[in-house]
Amino acid sequence: MLGSTTDADALTRRLLAGKGAGYAPWRDLAHCRQVLAEAGLPQHRSEAWQHTNVGRWYRAVASDEHSPSAGTDEAALGTVTAPGDMQLARFADANTPPLAARQLGNAVDLHRHPLAAANALLLETGIAACVPAGVHDEPVCVGPLPGRFQHLLLVVAAGAEVELVEEPAGYAHRVVEVVVGEGARVAHRRRQGPSAGHECSLVAVQVAERGSYHLAQSCRGAALRRNDIDVTLAADAEATITGAWRLDERDHLDNQVTVRHAGPNGTSRQTYRGVASGQAQAALGGRIHIAAEADGTDAALSTKNLIAGDRAAVFAKPVLEIHASDVRCAHGATVGALDEAAIHYLRSRGIAEEAARDLLVRGFLREAVADPAGQALLELAA
Amino acid sequence: MSQASLLSIAGLHAEAGGEPILRGLDLEIAAGEVHAVMGPNGAGKSTLANVLAGHPGFDVTAGAMTMAGEKLGDCTPEERARLGLFLAFQYPVEIPGVSNMEFLKAAVDAQAKHAERDAPSAVEFVRQAREAAAQLGLDAGFLKRGVNEGFSGGEKKRNEILQMLLLAPKLAVLDETDSGLDIDALKVVAEGINAFRSANNAVLLVTHYQRLLNHVVPDRVHVLAGGRIVRSGDHTLALTLEAEGYAWIDD
Repeated sequence: MLGSTTDADALTRRLLAGKGAGYAPWRDLAHCRQVLAEAGLPQHRSEAWQHTNVGRWYRAVASDEHSPSAGTDEAALGTVTAPGDMQLARFADANTPPLAARQLGNAVDLHRHPLAAANALLLETGIAACVPAGVHDEPVCVGPLPGRFQHLLLVVAAGAEVELVEEPAGYAHRVVEVVVGEGARVAHRRRQGPSAGHECSLVAVQVAERGSYHLAQSCRGAALRRNDIDVTLAADAEATITGAWRLDERDHLDNQVTVRHAGPNGTSRQTYRGVASGQAQAALGGRIHIAAEADGTDAALSTKNLIAGDRAAVFAKPVLEIHASDVRCAHGATVGALDEAAIHYLRSRGIAEEAARDLLVRGFLREAVADPAGQALLELAA
Repeated sequence: MSQASLLSIAGLHAEAGGEPILRGLDLEIAAGEVHAVMGPNGAGKSTLANVLAGHPGFDVTAGAMTMAGEKLGDCTPEERARLGLFLAFQYPVEIPGVSNMEFLKAAVDAQAKHAERDAPSAVEFVRQAREAAAQLGLDAGFLKRGVNEGFSGGEKKRNEILQMLLLAPKLAVLDETDSGLDIDALKVVAEGINAFRSANNAVLLVTHYQRLLNHVVPDRVHVLAGGRIVRSGDHTLALTLEAEGYAWIDD
């Protein structure tokens, strides 16, 4: 490897030279190579990756020297629990449901997320789940999966209601693709516990008319953790994105979220609360994109952050891109410090300083995420 | 220093932001006593209360504070609390997201742990907390609310007394606890203080007005002016101050 070659360039060349694409031979991945040829993979200098040293991720996860993790995708299928009437299959299987095969990749914008093209070419575990109509009390639960490159596809039929519980972890790149049918409702709970790993993920969601998607994501830090979340709403659709995170020491977390209102009269709420202690670094990019056709949109984004360490850093950036004229769109971002008067008040009651800080941090997070799903997830973040 | 002193303050000098406020204050409080410190605005009353509790905004430049044989100046705020010192704040701090109950339990547990005694069980503690709240005319929902969050002035003061009852300190310093209370709330707070009084503990009331002292009769009254105790007497001194004001101090 030439000294001047970046990890991104090296991986792009390997993929263009024909590496990969052996997992599900029925998939036509020519467009993945085309995107890589045009745009290449993200680099640390790319604006979208300015807060994450993606080179470290290539070295830790995408290099050939890295040995694949234990387990097979067949065994992984067995770890996924789901309502009894749901169809579950591996992409590698000949009997992948035609519905899943038709939908696979549609919600993923490869030009915006070229890492997903690499994911498709290097895929090691691909699982499709098709949820039929009806209200499902049993959630779909997905824990750690084998392989560095993973793709989970959830196709939810019109009018269906289901919960997706997801716990990603480790040295990986995971794509979670959710297709929400007309009038369907999906509640997605993501728990990202403390990790020494380097992980990137993309949650790509398409919500059809009158459908709704509700994400509650709670994160602890990792050596490197990047979440891209991309939700597209059709007419009269709804999304709530709730995120809480808590970082310590040298943790890193980068959440880049985009909600696109593609049709009229949609509603979206993005609410983020985070705490960074020690030398942790957190970034949040929260975007609201309202297309010209999306009159009547009601969108809001709020991010509140607490810096609880002298050397911690938080980068919070709301971005609004509005092409329609008749919309409601609100945003707010704050970054503050722990209240020293409150710390003294707690200490004056006999509570040790560290415990006092911890109590205040938990209070901040709890205050921030008021809905029940968020509350449940806060147990992890707090 | 008398042998029976619970709190002994000798030659205390303290400043805030380089500005001297206490200038040689002496005070002795024995177990079983209630003392009142009165004085005009700016005399240093709240500074005395905050310096006792170890507020980081004040620097002790000379003198000593000793409680139950321990030098308070060497102790952090939490260590002072664990020795049995309690300050009812003039301006209790709001802590959104932390329930009053969670806060009270954390405080009681921390003090029990330090004293190497068993903390009350969650059930027992809830019972105690509800009982104390009822005693102060606060309904049970009060315990579930965020600490002081959205409380009225009177509720905040009653919440301080609630904490005092549950933590059962050796010395309670009440900083202007009577300010901002209507007459009914004042009576409720006074009843709480009287219920707390015992032969084993002591109370230091810091107040601008005499009206609380109609309901909590002090053993000793001190006048603080210019950072020092300038006069001490029995409870009738408070009545004299009420009648004559503080203007005589300058004479």
